[in-house]
Amino acid sequence: MRLASGVAALLGALIATGARADGAPVGGVLVFSKNEIAAIRLHGPWPPALQRDASNRVAGSRKAAEFGAQLFFDARLSTPGNISCATCHIPEVGWSDRRALAAGLEETDRNTKSVLNSRFNRWFGWSGASDSLWAASIRPLLDPREMGGAERQVTAQMRAQPDLDCGYRQAFGKPPPADDETLLVDIGKALAAFQESLVTGRTPFDDFRDVLSRGDRRSAARYPLAAQRGLRLFVGAARCNVCHFGPQFTNGEFDKTGIPVRSASGRFDWGRYDGIKTLLASRFNRLSRHSDDRADDNSISTRHVALTLDAYGAFKVSGLRNVALTAPYMHNGSLASLRDVVTHYSGIDAVKMHIAVPQPHAEPGEPVPARAADSLLRPLNLAPAQIDDMVAFLETLTEKNPLSRRPAPGVAVCPY
Amino acid sequence: MKRGIVLLGAAALLMSAGARAQAPACGADLAGAQRAESAHYTVAYRTSPAKIAVAGHFSMEIAVCAKAGAPLPDALRIDARMPEHGHGMNYTVTVTPRGRGRFKAAGLMFHMPGRWELAFEVRSGDTPERVIHNITL
Repeated sequence: MRLASGVAALLGALIATGARADGAPVGGVLVFSKNEIAAIRLHGPWPPALQRDASNRVAGSRKAAEFGAQLFFDARLSTPGNISCATCHIPEVGWSDRRALAAGLEETDRNTKSVLNSRFNRWFGWSGASDSLWAASIRPLLDPREMGGAERQVTAQMRAQPDLDCGYRQAFGKPPPADDETLLVDIGKALAAFQESLVTGRTPFDDFRDVLSRGDRRSAARYPLAAQRGLRLFVGAARCNVCHFGPQFTNGEFDKTGIPVRSASGRFDWGRYDGIKTLLASRFNRLSRHSDDRADDNSISTRHVALTLDAYGAFKVSGLRNVALTAPYMHNGSLASLRDVVTHYSGIDAVKMHIAVPQPHAEPGEPVPARAADSLLRPLNLAPAQIDDMVAFLETLTEKNPLSRRPAPGVAVCPY
Repeated sequence: MKRGIVLLGAAALLMSAGARAQAPACGADLAGAQRAESAHYTVAYRTSPAKIAVAGHFSMEIAVCAKAGAPLPDALRIDARMPEHGHGMNYTVTVTPRGRGRFKAAGLMFHMPGRWELAFEVRSGDTPERVIHNITL
């Protein structure tokens, strides 16, 4: 009798809240548990609070951002004068390029990452070889396969072209410095000041997350049921949120994904392992003289980063905001669509996750890995309908009117 | 007679309280400290920020206390792993001794939600002893 009255009370409570014990939709909204709602809330709020990069003295400067925008679209920074940052980071296609592999002067081994939301990164690029947006902006300028610039050639352009010289003075309040390396870094800092402005807007997911948090079921019902089911998988059985964590849908770190590390050119791409070595050897990292962070508050990650076996074959966990705009996917662009990505994780081969590492790769003094293992990923074995749901959810992480602005033709900081 | 028993009881209580006052908890001055134990050591630690955020760096103030008969610690190493995932942290922890069993640690980061096994390796001479504490984010 007592049990029966308890069950009756529970049923009454469920009816009162519109909930169903099996989690099926009521009034167009799935009945998410408290734990599910807590997990969903962690993917917001959006937009987040913005923090200034203390290592870049012109971060947040309007004049520097305008000059950086001019530089971003200026092909004179490349050796032959026909490649700009925007050649690969095309505003109209999510600031990426729709190619499997990036191609500047030559084709590279990696997919172009969007620069949207890059201001929130701790590490930059698929291997995190840069620890600031300004250092990441310098890298392609000097890469012979991308913009091909020699340091002296890039800085000579800056001094020789009246509009660039004038733009520098406007942005930095002084003439370009005589030291080539310092000038190159300043170019990177102006480019970073511009890219910091590229923050994605609110998405259908953000609206759902907020109304669900408030218990506004009527408004929540506007969010498609397929996306709700996909979201439930994302934060639940599929555990995607272990890596795709927080408001950016990334924990900002690196992991193995079961994608082959041997590139089309035959080269092994060891991802994060080589990225750490490049970072620590870089003359442009946050520990260098070029950081403007006198308090040294923002170099903790660089000072403590560990060159471990876990880094072998690991690549940056991409943020998922505006992800529908940036196909193809993964570090080598080998998956053409979001459906292909979800299908890949659904059937991932756990054996392939244990990557045999050739002994000769290790240099003297480095740890010699027998294999780099990771038991985090296992096949999701999703049904076709669940794959549809997951794709429907991922598509709601893309804003309806994405940012795709270019400077108007002929408009520059210092027009000549 | 009854009064004598009451007085004896009160004296015993006072003595017990006195004993507690002479042996404060390990790291008693670390407000909000977490504690973990091994056979010979108690480790008390406090993090900054107090609430560990996923993928956020944090530091620690640590007190290592030797149990009766155990030697005082010479050194401390700290590491953490996610046993269910088979990986550790992506960062190396720097431990700075502050004297008298006190240490500061910097550079920690738990980059995923889930269970982390935080390991304090206490060294006295050549003998290491691990003190483990589980944290779930």
